[in-house]
Amino acid sequence: MMTYLKLAWRNIWRNRRRTLITISAFVFAVLAAIVMQSMNRGSYEVMIDRMVSFNTGYLQVQDYRYDDEASLDNSFYYNEELRDRILNADERIEKIVPRVETFMLAANDVSTRGSVVFGIDPEKEQNFNQIENYLAEGRFFEADEQTAVMGKGLADRLQLAVGDTLALIGQGRFGMSASGLFEIAGLIEHPIRDMNNSVVYLPIRTAQELLSAENHITGLMINPYQERQTDAVAASIRNSFDDNELVVYTWPELMPEILELMEMDLAVPRLLTVVLYVVIGFGFLGTVLTMTMERLREFGVLLSVGMKRFNLSFVVFIETLFISVMGVLSGIVLSWGLLKWIDPINLSGDAAQAVIDMGFEPIIPMSFAPDQFYIQGLYVFLIAMAVFLFPLIKIVKLNILEAARS
Amino acid sequence: MAIVRTEKLSKVYNPDTVPVHALRDVSIEINEGEFTAVRGPSGSGKTTLLNMIGGLDKPTSGNVFINGQEISKMKDSKRIDFRLQNIGFVFQHYNLIPVFTARENVSFIMLLQKRDKKEIRQRADELLDQVGLGERKDARPVQLSGGQQQRVAVARALASEPKFILADEPTANLDTESAMNLLDIMEKMNREQNVTFVFSTHDQRVIDRAYRVITMVDGAIHKDEIKSPLEGRGVS
Repeated sequence: MMTYLKLAWRNIWRNRRRTLITISAFVFAVLAAIVMQSMNRGSYEVMIDRMVSFNTGYLQVQDYRYDDEASLDNSFYYNEELRDRILNADERIEKIVPRVETFMLAANDVSTRGSVVFGIDPEKEQNFNQIENYLAEGRFFEADEQTAVMGKGLADRLQLAVGDTLALIGQGRFGMSASGLFEIAGLIEHPIRDMNNSVVYLPIRTAQELLSAENHITGLMINPYQERQTDAVAASIRNSFDDNELVVYTWPELMPEILELMEMDLAVPRLLTVVLYVVIGFGFLGTVLTMTMERLREFGVLLSVGMKRFNLSFVVFIETLFISVMGVLSGIVLSWGLLKWIDPINLSGDAAQAVIDMGFEPIIPMSFAPDQFYIQGLYVFLIAMAVFLFPLIKIVKLNILEAARS
Repeated sequence: MAIVRTEKLSKVYNPDTVPVHALRDVSIEINEGEFTAVRGPSGSGKTTLLNMIGGLDKPTSGNVFINGQEISKMKDSKRIDFRLQNIGFVFQHYNLIPVFTARENVSFIMLLQKRDKKEIRQRADELLDQVGLGERKDARPVQLSGGQQQRVAVARALASEPKFILADEPTANLDTESAMNLLDIMEKMNREQNVTFVFSTHDQRVIDRAYRVITMVDGAIHKDEIKSPLEGRGVS
């Protein structure tokens, strides 16, 4: 085996320049493919991370009717027993955060605005999404306070500031009237623009009392330790429920439109990657074709003296693999370094303003998702396999005498 | 006992278009310890005969027996293995593996035979010493002269301890000094180790040194002469 590896390794360096050019082509293809995908995916990863943190969680337990009608009437009873049952359902659950959510009118003394009111446990929420890091003014409330924290955009529209009184008017559970006055403890610059312009946070017990929904919540956000465990944890939780009153959704089920958008956006870089690899693949085929044709006599001699066709094919296969692996590994290392270096790209000027106007931060973050790196290895391996077919067929069909005369 | 025996060996190229009779009913025997040259003009069939004996080509009709085994009917993979274990080859153009050193070229055949690594190294060194290249074991073919490369090729051919060695025009690309040197080495191996050599050649220098000369004309054996008695060396 070592002899075959040694033979293959030395063979690829017979024509050093040709091999280096071929490896460089792979490096370029891998680098371009990874950077293209990383830029696209980076933005979506940030978006998904925020949506998952502030909106859905990786998993969410709801009443089975809530998805059709997001009303307090479809909230569910939540206590320590239910929490423990869910936690015991799967040891991969890292975080569990209850929320009560409803629409209300937020008002100052002269005007009103529609708002989304979240009743949250401040400590758990901070642990879940570091919401206090977005505090722009004031402070975040404690668990049992009768105060509110609101999005700065909403506060600006209502011309409210920290220390002012916010009036919330709406409907509680089962048609109960719900209204209350709350001192504004703080304002947050919410990272999701729509929420910045509409969100009001209340301590969960205060919100439940306001909405006549004591011990009821509308959603239970759950995060597993790792994102890839989402489906498995969802299945475990589903199995732990005695009846069909509660259902578990994963984040792609809760916001499929974002995934569809992402897939559509990624289609272009993926297509470019395919085109790139087809071009590089033909270049590689040219190299392997030349390497094969110029050694036909040598192949004939090796078969003459007793080397089996399988072993000869194996040596050529290793040569093909060496070149492609060196290309793909160098490409991955280089692209990793490049991404680390440029991450994130800070936009400025009109471009930055345009992005801000769309509700995003003026940066292009890079994705470091492992799959976008190792998938390149898979693509290159497939190319190597396809290209290897040529020397393989040549060796299998090689006529020793004709080869010796070539 | 005959190491090589052919029975009415015929080879016809292009049988359906313009038939070329490369061999016509050739029956010969080559015994252990022979130092035989097959001579003849171009197109006489000497290389075709060697290819048949070496299992590199299949006859149109007739049989080839090596050590009593019929090789012309063997499957490709079995024939490759048979060649590895039984036949050594020396080619006109040396055909060493260019990326291997002299020692690695000689060792390679033994590695294909899956021999013990220590034994391989020891035997490769011995063989290179025998062909006078003990000091050039780590040189690659490109660093060796034509004569030196051909000597490595002889060492390689001997490495597998074959029943006999087929040498196709081994001196054709060598100057006189290198050719004589190579012939000295092969003759010495034949004399001292009873290694059987079969050459195809135009080269008078080889023909002069051969003990048996088979002359071929138009695909048939024209003359088969034994120039030196072999009995004295135990060859019947």
